[in-house]
Amino acid sequence: MKERIREILEDALPLVDLDSDFLFRELDSLGVATILMKLSEEYSIKLDAKDATPKNLKSLDSLEAMVKSKLEK
Amino acid sequence: MRLVDYLHQNARLYPDKTAAICGGDKISYRELSAKVLERSSSYRSGQVVPFRSSQSIDFLITYFAIHQAGAVAAPLEKDIPENRFKEISDILSSSKVPEGTADILYTTGTTGKSKGVMISHKTIIADAENLIEGQGFSHNLLFIISGPLNHIGSLSKIFPVTMQGATLYILEGMKDLEKFFQALDCPAQKTATFFVPATIRMLLTFSGERLSKYADKIDFIESGAAPLAHSDMLRLCEVLPKTRLYNTYASTETGIISTYNFNDGECIPGCLGRPMSHSKIIITSEGKISCQGDTLMTGYVNDPDLTTSVLKNNTIHTSDIGEIDEIGRLHLKGRETDVINVGGFKVSPSEVEDAAMSFPGLKDCICIGVPHPITGMALKLIVELDGGMRLDKPSLARHLKGKLELFKVPMLYEQAESIKRTFNGKLDRKFYNSQNI
Repeated sequence: MKERIREILEDALPLVDLDSDFLFRELDSLGVATILMKLSEEYSIKLDAKDATPKNLKSLDSLEAMVKSKLEK
Repeated sequence: MRLVDYLHQNARLYPDKTAAICGGDKISYRELSAKVLERSSSYRSGQVVPFRSSQSIDFLITYFAIHQAGAVAAPLEKDIPENRFKEISDILSSSKVPEGTADILYTTGTTGKSKGVMISHKTIIADAENLIEGQGFSHNLLFIISGPLNHIGSLSKIFPVTMQGATLYILEGMKDLEKFFQALDCPAQKTATFFVPATIRMLLTFSGERLSKYADKIDFIESGAAPLAHSDMLRLCEVLPKTRLYNTYASTETGIISTYNFNDGECIPGCLGRPMSHSKIIITSEGKISCQGDTLMTGYVNDPDLTTSVLKNNTIHTSDIGEIDEIGRLHLKGRETDVINVGGFKVSPSEVEDAAMSFPGLKDCICIGVPHPITGMALKLIVELDGGMRLDKPSLARHLKGKLELFKVPMLYEQAESIKRTFNGKLDRKFYNSQNI
């Protein structure tokens, strides 16, 4: 799943360093909105602003964990 | 009186009133006024001062201190590349600006290439009075600013807030929506804010329900800089039934001209209301919008030819197409320009194409606007590369980031066999735009 998330985000946000040790810092509001939108589309999950925390958007691993926890609900 | 004089007046009238809040910091009118006076000794009268803007109380101190000293403030993008900062600084240091100039604001505006728009102290006061009268900025208001302070959309809100002795709450963008809701939770009798349409779409998509809980607290929201989709206008009226919701006609060149509260039961798309008291709108015989009044720019710095192409006989001629209805309200019908509006930021495609042409292996390219679910429009760069080369998107994006302000860097890229040009060698923008609607 992590590699698929990378593939989607590399395409949508070409300027963002997805391997940054703190991904949230690399993003602007459009970047955050794009991540929420792309992941909700790909995995048919409902994401809202409360999910867009620096903790959830820290790295590809934390994004994967967020998607997995939404899929389990 | 200049805006900075209102600041000092408010420091005498309401010394302990909070002038601004940012992050964990707060500053009262008395403290802000004192810091401005102290810093003003760093500048000299007539000097043009370029500086990187920031979302901070320090921005306010610098901005007002420059005015206090009789100098001219030229706030630039916070992420402007170093070579561009130097290029603009060099131009400004040798430029002559008319007396009474307060600010030079860099914008792509309506005519393409990025240029410095000169704004006078008189313009600032007229913009402030237009907004106070047109939208009801009051002394007990807390106004949340989330957009960049070097951009007229956000900078212009400092004007009425300062004049009324109200409070500014400065946010560093809207990427952390929690911080926006914290700002709404801040104790205040009335709260208001300004959003570009992309932010409204984002809030409605990801936090609509939560926003509705603040229906009693949000006095008004202004939107501008790009057209707001009718579906978003209707949804916002539903979420905030008691809030005044304004669509405004304004630009760096024209200042704040007219405004329309679309939460009026009619919610007319494209309506921008009646001209405010310092402004007048004329529709030319070609159907284009022209503006008159005290909010107009003085001209483009160092470019008298470009100035006279837009500003003639105290009238600014825009490339916007509009109509005035039977009760005097302006309706925007379209724009006759190549400029692409990305979430409220105007980008000239040729500037992006020029920057891209120095990318190794790039033979030709065209930058177009394509529909985007959040920003309304996003930039797409279609490129033709030397034989056999494959497009490395991140490298090209980084190359552009080194040359342009961040909002001008396209989000989408595509490799094409060739770039279509018209019979006389010009890029065939019409063809590409029709393919991407």
